[in-house]
Amino acid sequence: MSVINKMEGMSRNLKKAHKKLIGFPSYFKDWSTTFKGGVTLFCLLILFIFPIMTQNPYYLDIFVLAMIYSIFAASWDFLAGFTGQVSFGHAIFFGISGYYVSATLVFNNFSWWAALIVGVIIAVFVGFIIGIICLRMKGPYLALGTMTIGLMFMNLYRIGPFKKYLWGDEGITAVPALSTNAIVVYYTTLIFMIISIIIMLRITKTNMGTIFKSIRDDETGSGASGINTTKYKVIAFMISSLFAGLAGGFFVMYNRSVGPLIFQPYYSFIILIMTALGGIATISGSALGAFTFVLLTEALRDLKELDPTNVFLDAFSHPAFVFSILLILIIRFASEGILKSALEKLKDLWDVLLGR
Amino acid sequence: MGVILEVKNLTKKFGGLTAVNDFSFEIKRGEFLGLIGPNGAGKTTVFNLISGFEKPSSGSIRFDGVDITGLKPYKIVNLGIARTFQLVRSFKFLTLLDNVSVSCLSKRGKKISKKIGTDEYASSILGSIGLVDKARIPPVILPHGDLRRLQIGKAIGSNPELLLLDEPFSGLSFEEQLGITNLIKKLHEDGVTIFITGHVLRELMTLVPRVLAMHQGKLIADGPPLEVANNKIVLEAYLGRGAEFA
Repeated sequence: MSVINKMEGMSRNLKKAHKKLIGFPSYFKDWSTTFKGGVTLFCLLILFIFPIMTQNPYYLDIFVLAMIYSIFAASWDFLAGFTGQVSFGHAIFFGISGYYVSATLVFNNFSWWAALIVGVIIAVFVGFIIGIICLRMKGPYLALGTMTIGLMFMNLYRIGPFKKYLWGDEGITAVPALSTNAIVVYYTTLIFMIISIIIMLRITKTNMGTIFKSIRDDETGSGASGINTTKYKVIAFMISSLFAGLAGGFFVMYNRSVGPLIFQPYYSFIILIMTALGGIATISGSALGAFTFVLLTEALRDLKELDPTNVFLDAFSHPAFVFSILLILIIRFASEGILKSALEKLKDLWDVLLGR
Repeated sequence: MGVILEVKNLTKKFGGLTAVNDFSFEIKRGEFLGLIGPNGAGKTTVFNLISGFEKPSSGSIRFDGVDITGLKPYKIVNLGIARTFQLVRSFKFLTLLDNVSVSCLSKRGKKISKKIGTDEYASSILGSIGLVDKARIPPVILPHGDLRRLQIGKAIGSNPELLLLDEPFSGLSFEEQLGITNLIKKLHEDGVTIFITGHVLRELMTLVPRVLAMHQGKLIADGPPLEVANNKIVLEAYLGRGAEFA
């Protein structure tokens, strides 16, 4: 009897998938004609033709870094914005993957994609462990707990006694880039960023995504509705750590080295800033925040050069200073992130221009 | 029609305070049972103990012959007991449809969702509670009466055999109470065993054929509403000493 039920279920799923596939072109058409879809496509277009406009590796590098941070920030948003688990230690997954991607690249001569697979698997495993450790932690305790574990990792990989296994202060150097061709690096990273964000977005729209959101909104109520919140919190941690690990792998190939400082709070906090900028619980907003962060940092860097004696210019050329102020302003005035309100204003402007 | 819930010597102490004291009773399958008592009598604690939100200090709870004492709430839901809360809670940022879908996605609810589809199942529940036209709206703008309905909708998504309703009438206008009453009556007709607490006595007493009365953690009466309402001890509990002369 149950075999027949299973087969009925499978055939229904196949029919659903078939419908989705057939429906995709019209779905795409509908989506691309919305304002949000149009803007997204426009941004993607710019990203795709950017290397055609300039082959300067300096500029390509900046964008590559932004794309890496996009994946990293989106992974954080997935856990915090959609499942309500706010971690201040996401650098753990970023770094642990970075270390073993580097190690397999340098010591085992792995190809870039094989190394990435190793890094991601390790990151997911660590995500599983951390998820279980942090199960009973909520709110500020979860944040503090994850931050502390991050610091633990940083010191673990730094101190002398473990140097033999964990490479100590110097870490691993001479990590090969993904490719010697900067354009290949650019497009590979771009594709991975797009796929990662699409996957994370799609998950949030599934039944499991609804369960994640229910845990975020009311964890007790979710349990009262029959959901094993423990299981799903751990799953969310693992999905999040997968993509954070992916980002970490790309990062060490970009940076050409890895050391204990990859675990430092800086990396855990910049993704917070990026997500806050772009809008929590939007996934794609994190990417926007990442690009804003990286481009703004670059732009500010030159500020000091304008007049080396001016104290204000000096202060504002430090990203930490600028983004701290920016974060406070966002929390106070635009807690939904810049993305939503900016998009709405843009849409209004667009409507006005079109005479609607 | 066997016994669906068997509670024996249930006791819950919070430090020096005994909230539930040697509480024992049985519910038969298909019954419609009420639990009354003044505020602070321990009614919600009894519900919390049965549904797994609190662990008893001593005593046992058996559901359909299975010992469920001390099990986690989600496990108890998947065995067939669902509950609503005294203070309405909802998934703030989800649509009504998604709010109901969550319990439809429980292990127990999935048995139905797999067959007819999660959205269809959740929509039909919204239909039966009269909120289907608000399916895409988040709960934040709903009036209190609709939120109480939503509570019940969220509970029945897991297809429970026993439904614990914690003060479903509080804060409702007369019409809203009527609406909820009809909804609960219909659920009972469909075969769900209902255990309902309240201290809006008039509504409850005309609804259920059997009522338990509780005072300071103890069971003080068990019988048809008229009998319980005229019980000396119950009157003292509600109105104080000398009430029989009132």
